[in-house]
Amino acid sequence: MLLWQTSQTINFAQGEFVMLPAFFVLAAMKFGGLSFPLAILAGLALALLVLGLLFKRLVVDPIIRHGVLPLVISTVALAIFLKEGVKEFYAADAQAFPAAWATTNLALGPAVVSVQNLVIIAVAVAAVGLLQYFLGGTRTGRQMQATAQNPALARILGIPVERMILYTFLINAALVALASFLISPIYLAKFTNGETLGLVAFVAAIVGGFNQVRGAIVGGLLVGVIDNFVAAYWSSQYRAAIPLFLLIAVILFRPQGLLGRAEERTV
Amino acid sequence: MAASGNGDAVLVLEDVIAGYGGLTVLNGTSLRAARGAITTIIGPNGAGKSTVFKTVFGLLPVRAGRILFEGCEVTNLGPRKLLELGISYVPQGRNIFPELSVRHNLELGATAAGAGIDIAARIESVMDRFPMLRQRAAAQASTLSGGQQKLLEIARSLLLDPKLMLIDEPSIGLSPRLVQETFAILRDLRSKGMSILMVEQNAKRALEISDFGVIIELGRTRMTGEARAILADPDVGQLFLGGGLTAEIA
Repeated sequence: MLLWQTSQTINFAQGEFVMLPAFFVLAAMKFGGLSFPLAILAGLALALLVLGLLFKRLVVDPIIRHGVLPLVISTVALAIFLKEGVKEFYAADAQAFPAAWATTNLALGPAVVSVQNLVIIAVAVAAVGLLQYFLGGTRTGRQMQATAQNPALARILGIPVERMILYTFLINAALVALASFLISPIYLAKFTNGETLGLVAFVAAIVGGFNQVRGAIVGGLLVGVIDNFVAAYWSSQYRAAIPLFLLIAVILFRPQGLLGRAEERTV
Repeated sequence: MAASGNGDAVLVLEDVIAGYGGLTVLNGTSLRAARGAITTIIGPNGAGKSTVFKTVFGLLPVRAGRILFEGCEVTNLGPRKLLELGISYVPQGRNIFPELSVRHNLELGATAAGAGIDIAARIESVMDRFPMLRQRAAAQASTLSGGQQKLLEIARSLLLDPKLMLIDEPSIGLSPRLVQETFAILRDLRSKGMSILMVEQNAKRALEISDFGVIIELGRTRMTGEARAILADPDVGQLFLGGGLTAEIA
């Protein structure tokens, strides 16, 4: 979403981007012989390089000149490439991924909560808080926002627009790596992981409002909560359809998203 | 002060050829902006008025000719370098960051500031000058009215204390009263020694507050001279200012 704002990039490989860093870590352990903490660092570095820098330089920069649609199609191709690449060259079955924390459960009154889930929520909240602080509270962050809101004007004011866009790609890469390391211990590392993730994230972004980070978070929570309630109280058979149903409802009744603002199109 | 000789011209374009892609818009344009004065570029739609600014500010490449600022060649320098040298550019239309606060919009005007510049103090002094901006400092810039947004843009372009301001169609979309206020601000800036090069559709009103005028047509300089003389020229009135002016003068 940040990518969309700063560079008009829609990445349909975003789900695969979350799938991949876990395999970077596994490969670093298996072939590089690194310990888990070092492999995590190596995975993060590789994610920044491959999913940040190289994605921008080799895929987005050359293709976006031809328009948004070619880029969309290219990212769909990239998604397939990444998925099949992992299947062919690493493994077709799900791989166990070590967790960096205890896998016990915690009894909170009547509810039993797994420590893993708590860690995930805490880290996700911290990451979003940090991101929001960076974007709003630092000069560089505000220059990134300015670049997102009006790149032509940002350039006129001397903001290094190219560098700001690169930062956006690097932040995106760091965030997908973080997400990958958080969810892989639970869902295991599998080459198909990106499919559902990408879809749910995309729906969350649309539901919440495509042009707001806050919107996507609300959208994500909403999709998750509704999805689980439907599965628990109604029927789990319809579960997979819920995000799509929400997507259609929002596009029909509130196309700018729940928290989004309507985009002005000027000629 | 006459605009002859490079000595008192702050900006000079010499036979500039530039345009968009394969389209040539400036076809050997020559003009100058006099120091400490307001120079207004007028001409029909599509004559290349805004293109002059985009070319000077490094947004379009100069294919031939050269551009001098304070006697130094600045041809094909980028916005950042030109801001550092002391040129600011207020483009046509709405040019704010709608979701950032008024204060942060101002702050971004100082992006190209050198290390020794106290940006907070600069923002304070601009707010002293335009108290409305202080009152609305924390508000999202999108909540300002059209006139307030234009004021914010002008204020933002003053943060680096430029020697020359390029301002494109400041009156567009503003009520007559706000146009008057905006022009008053430009006159005030001139009285403090700033040089201003303006493009205006509202040619008559603009020339009335200008020292010099430049008429361009089809990307070439048609006429250049004192604003008063251009206003008084019956041919110009007929061709570029609308028939009303000729009637008024006659």
